[in-house]
Amino acid sequence: MRRLLDAMREQRLALVGLAMLALFGLLAAFAPSLSPHDPAEMDTPMLPPNRPHPLGTNDIGQDILSELLYGARFSLFIGFLSAMASTAIGLCLGLISGYYDRVGFAVMRVVDVFLAIPRFPLIILMAAFLKPGLRTLVLFFVLLGWPRATRLVRSQILTERNREYVDAVRLVGASDLRILSRHLLPSSISIALVRFIMEFQHVILAESGLSFLGLGDPTVKSWGAILHYAFEYPTIFISDVWVRWAMPPGICITLVVLALTFTGFSLEEWAEPRLRH
Amino acid sequence: MIDMRVAQYLLTMFIVLSLNFFLPRMMPGDPLSYLTGDPTADMPVAISEEVREKLLAYYGLDEPLARQYTDYLINLAHGNLGWSIYYKAPVSSVLLGRLRWTLLLMGTATLGYVALGILLGALSAWRRGTRTDIGLLVSVFSLGSWPPFFLAMLLIILFSVKLGAFPIGGAKSPTGSNAAGLKLAAEVAYHLFLPSLALVLTHLSGVYFLMRNSMLGVLGEDYIRTARAKGLRKRDILLRHALPNALLPIVTMIAMHLGFLIMGTMFVEVVFAYPGTGTLIYQACTTRDYPLLQGTFLLIMAFVMMFNLAADLLYSRLDPRVRRA
Amino acid sequence: MRKTVSVLILALVLANLLVGCKPALTPTATPVSAAPMLIPGPTSAPRTLTLPGDDWGYPSPFTRYPRGPGYIQMSFLFDTLAWKDERGMIPWLADSWEVSEDGTRWTFYLQEGVRWHDGEPLTAEDVTFTFGYLKEHLAPGFEALSEQIERVEAQDEHTIVLYLKEPIAGFLSDVAGSVPIIPRHIWEGVEDPKRFTGKEAVIGTGPFKLVEYSKEECRYIYEANGEFFKGKPVIDRLVFTKVQDEALALKTRTVDAAFFWGKEIEAVRELEAEPNLEVIEGPSFWVLQLIFNYERPPFDKVEVRRAIAHAVDRSRIVEQVTHDGAIVANLGIISPGTDWYNPQLSPCDYDPSGAEEILDEVGVRGLSLTLLTTGEFVREAELIKADLGQVGIEVEVKSADWGTIDGLLREGDFDLAISGHGGIADPGMLDTPTWPAMVYEDEELDRLFEEQGKTLDEERRRALVWRLQEIIAEKLPVLTLYHPKIWCVYDPAKLDTWFYTKGGIATGIPTEQNKLVFLKR
Repeated sequence: MRRLLDAMREQRLALVGLAMLALFGLLAAFAPSLSPHDPAEMDTPMLPPNRPHPLGTNDIGQDILSELLYGARFSLFIGFLSAMASTAIGLCLGLISGYYDRVGFAVMRVVDVFLAIPRFPLIILMAAFLKPGLRTLVLFFVLLGWPRATRLVRSQILTERNREYVDAVRLVGASDLRILSRHLLPSSISIALVRFIMEFQHVILAESGLSFLGLGDPTVKSWGAILHYAFEYPTIFISDVWVRWAMPPGICITLVVLALTFTGFSLEEWAEPRLRH
Repeated sequence: MIDMRVAQYLLTMFIVLSLNFFLPRMMPGDPLSYLTGDPTADMPVAISEEVREKLLAYYGLDEPLARQYTDYLINLAHGNLGWSIYYKAPVSSVLLGRLRWTLLLMGTATLGYVALGILLGALSAWRRGTRTDIGLLVSVFSLGSWPPFFLAMLLIILFSVKLGAFPIGGAKSPTGSNAAGLKLAAEVAYHLFLPSLALVLTHLSGVYFLMRNSMLGVLGEDYIRTARAKGLRKRDILLRHALPNALLPIVTMIAMHLGFLIMGTMFVEVVFAYPGTGTLIYQACTTRDYPLLQGTFLLIMAFVMMFNLAADLLYSRLDPRVRRA
Repeated sequence: MRKTVSVLILALVLANLLVGCKPALTPTATPVSAAPMLIPGPTSAPRTLTLPGDDWGYPSPFTRYPRGPGYIQMSFLFDTLAWKDERGMIPWLADSWEVSEDGTRWTFYLQEGVRWHDGEPLTAEDVTFTFGYLKEHLAPGFEALSEQIERVEAQDEHTIVLYLKEPIAGFLSDVAGSVPIIPRHIWEGVEDPKRFTGKEAVIGTGPFKLVEYSKEECRYIYEANGEFFKGKPVIDRLVFTKVQDEALALKTRTVDAAFFWGKEIEAVRELEAEPNLEVIEGPSFWVLQLIFNYERPPFDKVEVRRAIAHAVDRSRIVEQVTHDGAIVANLGIISPGTDWYNPQLSPCDYDPSGAEEILDEVGVRGLSLTLLTTGEFVREAELIKADLGQVGIEVEVKSADWGTIDGLLREGDFDLAISGHGGIADPGMLDTPTWPAMVYEDEELDRLFEEQGKTLDEERRRALVWRLQEIIAEKLPVLTLYHPKIWCVYDPAKLDTWFYTKGGIATGIPTEQNKLVFLKR
């Protein structure tokens, strides 16, 4: 009995995680209706929390709470889309390169090259030559994320394809396509899901990091952008402004990453025996 | 078979080295932009086109790209990393000067989070599903979910500003340079505490979780059940049988972390103004200091390779199954 | 094989660690405390002042980084012929000077009894050597010397004559007040000064000697020069150290003074409230501008530029973004903090409907532009975008690092850009090819500029410079936005002699760290 309760406690974490994600998703989706102001609207700068501005205003007078709610949209969107695209590419390429050796070799060399691309010159290049905005950011993360996903899926396929059931099915006359789609694909989905979650976390943290350094896109009002301006503010260390300006986006980022971790627990346990770090 | 792998290895190395040469040069602007034009400077430094040409020639930047590329490769083969345009010093001295601090920081942090991660992970695994386990899961992961620069700033605000207990940053106090021996060590340690703590808190969750899972896997194995059946004490089982085997995957993880240590400490170094290599790439990028960029990338590559090799070696040593094979 | 290689690398790295934590370049450290006193009495600890800093290169004239702060570090070690205080030029290494009628011949009479840090006497030979050597080796910041100075002669041990090709109006401050004099007996044997980083490279005549420089820790430690020709400095030890945030450093007394500008006014306000800190405010010579790509339509039409000038609410920018840490600029680029400011320029009012009218008149509508900026001025860019949106101009803000922007500006690949320039203390500094306002081709502008550069008579020169500003305000090659103010917040118990140099030190660096601050006056 105790064992059952213990197992349930673990599962509970995963549920809590999902619930938190759902909450953030809703907040992001309904940001326009929930926000007391348009985040671009400028009131008096640096107002302390009061009725019209529950978290006060930032350095140019924008309502922090509204920024926070809209920021959820951008941060979640960037994370989700980048992770989704990287993982999808990883799945496809991983399947093919794991199954067909020649293609696999070529793809792995491309993967090596991409893994070697240094982040900073790349983002500077992209910021210089591409239009600012969400798409460029997503592209940046996908360029860096697809190699990891591909490698992971491929190593999974390499083990799976030698399993007896694959031989058995081939003996019966199944085509390559059938083997790939009906048998190998399902076995890699769990590992791809784990990767998706980790990539999502990575992108959210990396995006805030880039913004912190000033390399992010300041026109994209994500949580990282709020943190950027908060930390640039001259009295951030010597006054208490950080409590209402830096903590909220920081906590939001932390909670989303945490929620993703909890959600990933159940998946991890499930995929654990096949996961190689 | 071995030849194939070595060839692959060398090919990748070559591609990486070339990428590190070409990519920075694709960024608009050149090293002289920062040297002379940065408008946030107090004193405008304007140079005529003539002088610009002369400076470019001095740094060898006016030669055709192909020539610069071959020079780069030849110098590299001789171990010559070149001269940093921004720092006006040999690239190797710039790198080594900072590397020792990053090594110190990463070294102490690694000891910290590995030791703590192993302890807590084992504890969690042993008491799986209980309040202890869940409590640890939540708290350790909460800490690790913070953006690292954020955690660092909070530590400064709390410990340096509010409590005044630790210095705000730097590797040692500005006037402490004449100290030597024990005094110097004490100072360095004093300045090292907060940045190290920030890294420990951020990296703890990785080792903790891995240890927990690894331990869980091991605890379910046959030989553990045998030991239990034999009536061995819990503590013996844990320490002498489960632990060593659970440690193996951790070795790989640590090796990976350490391999990327040149940049892994970046945010902490920026926030604490710690003089390490973490900020070098960023700085070299923004100042378009090509030789320094190349040198730093090379260092990263060397580190990654070195630690991967070290991990392989250690792994084969630690895993009795591999050794016998 | 691979194993051995990796073990070797590992060993190398560890060996370096063990070799010790000595900074990369250290002249031998001289012990600061005096010999132990025989009679026990009140021992005076060395008076130390710690200031916030960064790495600005090894402070020799060739290895320092070319920007302002690099010059300041060097100025503690090396002296110039003339210098400045809060009122203007003062004698320094030269105790007097003369200029010929036509302004092409300057004669300087050196102080007697000045010695280099190594004890050797300063002579006219050092000065003539300096000018030749700096010219030959392209010293950072002094590359233009080759164009301006024809030759330099030492008439005797203490007299130097400089022959110019043409009179230079700002000669005293930009040349005599900026060129650091270096010892001939040390530099004459040095082939590649850019790589000369030994102890001798920092031997000068200045009030301080360099004790330690650490590149990675961004630390400079100076010790007072007891034999300095103006007397021993009141500070025994001067330390510069890197801090991540100056307000934080001052508050925790990690440093004894901090320097702020523009938007950082909030830090000044916060620190001002502390009873043990004091503040002084100074004029800045820095200007933030909106740069038009006037070579590309529609900005080739001055009307369009004027329309935009009316469309942007500059006082709102100053209020909302800088929190009154700056003053709205008039259109002449030169800041009111200098003597050359023309207060009579007609202001440019915020008039969005007027702007729309002008645009209609020239038939330019429906514009869609890109506005380049570095991360520092994104807020300003956003406000400008909003303002221009009101008059029907669509703007896309693109933020990039300075290297990128510089590259794009050079190639003329932009519509609008926000950028700033400093050091316009002397109008001579306006003539720099990187400043868009001066690259703008206009006959009268060019003529005026050249003339004022040669006019030694202050009144006449002022009239020319005023006219210059009028034309800039008319032609609007750039739209000036604001001039940030600057402050020094300090702990008076440590040092309270801070002041603002008139015209900024050397070529116009508006710093509080004039070495006079450390001397008894």
